[in-house]
Amino acid sequence: MSTDERLVRVDGLRKYFWENDSILDRLFGEEPVAVRAVDGVSFDVYEGETLGLVGESGCGKSTTGETLLALQEPTEGRVEFDGDDVYALGRDGLTAFRRDAQVVFQDPFSSLDPRMTIGEIVCQPLDVHDVATGTERTERVRTLLERVGLSADHLDRYPHEFSGGQRQRIGIARALALEPEFLVLDEPTSALDVSVQAQVLNLLEDLQSEFDLTYLLISHDLSVIRHSCDRVAVMYLGEIVEIGPVRDIFESPKHPYTRALLESVPRATTAERERDRETLSGDVPSPRDPPSGCRFRTRCPAVIPPDDLDLEQAQYRAIMDLRERIERRDVSLESVGGDRIAFDDGGVPERDVPAFVDALADRLLERELPPTHRDIVEEALAALAGVDWDEAAEVLRQRYESVCERRNPDLGEERHPVACHLYGLAADGSENGDR
Amino acid sequence: MSESTEALLRVEGLSTRFFTEQGQVNAVSDLDLRIDRGDVYGIVGESGSGKSVTARSIMDLIESPGEITSGEIWYRNGELAAAVEDDHGHAVDGSFVDLLEIPERVRRSLRGTSFSMIFQDPESSFNPSLTVGEQLAEAVEVQRRASANPRSTRARTRSEEYSLGSFVLSTMLPSKRYVSEESRERAISLLELVGIPDPVERADEYPHEYSGGMLQRAMIAQALAGEPDLLIADEPTTALDVTIQAQILDLLDELKRETGMTILLITHNLGVIARMCDRVGVMYAGEIVERGTLADVFDDHVHPYTHGLLGSIPDVERAGGRLEPIPGNVPSLLDREMGDRCRFADRCPKAMEDCLSHPPEVDAEGSDHHAVRCVLAERSYDESRALPDDYFGEPDRPAEAVDEPQSDDEPLPAERTQPTLEDAGGDGS
Repeated sequence: MSTDERLVRVDGLRKYFWENDSILDRLFGEEPVAVRAVDGVSFDVYEGETLGLVGESGCGKSTTGETLLALQEPTEGRVEFDGDDVYALGRDGLTAFRRDAQVVFQDPFSSLDPRMTIGEIVCQPLDVHDVATGTERTERVRTLLERVGLSADHLDRYPHEFSGGQRQRIGIARALALEPEFLVLDEPTSALDVSVQAQVLNLLEDLQSEFDLTYLLISHDLSVIRHSCDRVAVMYLGEIVEIGPVRDIFESPKHPYTRALLESVPRATTAERERDRETLSGDVPSPRDPPSGCRFRTRCPAVIPPDDLDLEQAQYRAIMDLRERIERRDVSLESVGGDRIAFDDGGVPERDVPAFVDALADRLLERELPPTHRDIVEEALAALAGVDWDEAAEVLRQRYESVCERRNPDLGEERHPVACHLYGLAADGSENGDR
Repeated sequence: MSESTEALLRVEGLSTRFFTEQGQVNAVSDLDLRIDRGDVYGIVGESGSGKSVTARSIMDLIESPGEITSGEIWYRNGELAAAVEDDHGHAVDGSFVDLLEIPERVRRSLRGTSFSMIFQDPESSFNPSLTVGEQLAEAVEVQRRASANPRSTRARTRSEEYSLGSFVLSTMLPSKRYVSEESRERAISLLELVGIPDPVERADEYPHEYSGGMLQRAMIAQALAGEPDLLIADEPTTALDVTIQAQILDLLDELKRETGMTILLITHNLGVIARMCDRVGVMYAGEIVERGTLADVFDDHVHPYTHGLLGSIPDVERAGGRLEPIPGNVPSLLDREMGDRCRFADRCPKAMEDCLSHPPEVDAEGSDHHAVRCVLAERSYDESRALPDDYFGEPDRPAEAVDEPQSDDEPLPAERTQPTLEDAGGDGS
């Protein structure tokens, strides 16, 4: 079980990938675009524990794992392993780090060299780090294979002769060859069937207690996370939104995203059909241009309206969705009125403006609004009739701007911190406890 | 759960085999299935269990080297029965028609209007060079032309006006006769039906501009174009994230309520089954080993495989102790490697001597629909008749040890000195 000894410390880690960054692009004056895969994550991993990193595809969980192992260059931030700054390690230090921190990949079909026998695969780390020789080495490989549940007689077989589950065991044996302290498990069971997944999860559990291992388990599967982890960090669009002990996260989730994620998982019981669930609408925004403030605000079912607003959440949500589209200029104005309304570069002729506004509101607004709010929205849409995007966005922003878009909530320092304005500091800086 | 208990589809004794270089693969063997109108029927199983091949057999999408070698697929459709009765009397039974006995062209004409299918990977199911709206309109057009000529069982994509030539002409001539304006409008209303916001605009976008969830919605819209009786959904949410999966399942639920459509849902995810299905069939090694209502299978299951499958999933609501995995690996479906015994016996914790002969499907306690292919349905587990642990030899041999063919039916208890999957994999055994 976990101790209070900190093994890994990640502080403000960022990893951006750059698009349009070739020489040609520069010649043509294209600005490079940053894909913010990991955008400022901080967490600790304590000795002997399993920390889960959970999130949907594209949230940056695998990149976090790779970057903290120094398999990717970080854009910014610091990672300490056993007290040493990983990115400042010299040659010898890095070699030692690579021995102590290992990784198991998701896909057991592409992470094993098809031209090497499994004996050679498991032996390779020993070769690279020049550990053990001769019979001692062979003996070690045999023991490893047996320990992960394979027969040592299979040393001379090739990966293609094994099933997915067995290959994942080979990958685990390879990761264990150098007796590491820390393992990053990147979706170790995602490619496996459930019955085989259970075998591998049990094996990982046994190995952890036998060899005093510390795990960082990256997975999109919440039931795997619940089963295997001591603490969990939930990621959304490159950031950690909530981190805490596994029980707290699953039984009293705070962040609206964590709650929605948990509610979305279908349970394998006959009571599943009657379970109340609230599903999220929309898709994850692009990490090239993440939303300002809280990144979850574009889908959040609990986005915070300005203080004096008398609207239901669903109506406010509808206005926020409309604002989002206008701010991204993601509305094709030409097609609004069909053939009835003439549209040219300067916009719509004066007499057609009311019809244009009605048609546009009909198309973009998902909810009925009270008259005062309907007027504000129509004012903004009328600005669009003159193709004045900025004006339209500004009209709406003035009335409806949320604290969630102004400020990105910080992740606190306590036992179960959450990055959400519903908790902690309010917009004016005053304490504003749990809702 | 459904208003009527009228069977829409009855599959009897279906066997589908693939004749490959390595030998004959029995992907589906002797499979029985009954889907009632308005129900959601789920087939669950692990990879290689034959669930997708079953779906494709019903859709008539089995391609060489595969072949449906035996069985009957009875589909209830009075109109179709009347149309084919004269020429193919033997294929008609009341208002049921045996799909395997009617000519290929008739069968093909059922795709879209009677059966349609959605797949796991929406990205590869759309043509990247046409807009989503065009592709949907095309699907609508096909169905529209067919319904303009309902008695004709001619393959409608072969007709004159739907030829490659007319397509090429349509790109050059301004009068686009290829896809009519009505079809376009219907395409947009289909997009609206599946919950795509702003369908007018989205119809003019290309597949790459859609997110995975949106594209899956569009694929569902396309499948609905012909208002099919049966929608076959093959792992419809496997490629999606859980929040998007929840959206798609909500959508299917809603469509089912609104249109009364019948759905055959293929998945490996027991949670999705629990969320959606009225009836369930559990597949293992090409057979349905247990079927019945959701409660039969989840709460009153008899087959040790069903038990093992449910025991393998970690619970998201409880921090569990140890998982109980099924030891061993999915068996080979090569004909020569399959003995004439229960196919699960070598991994079964309750294997007895009786399991050495292949068990027939028998009724089990629970609802009328509960049937199971296991001797435990009729007698309880008897330890004195249990097979020794090492009866089937060492279970962790490589999956395809081609150079050393091992025969499964050789009852030679091998020495077991090495740790095996059971030992390492948990205390399931």
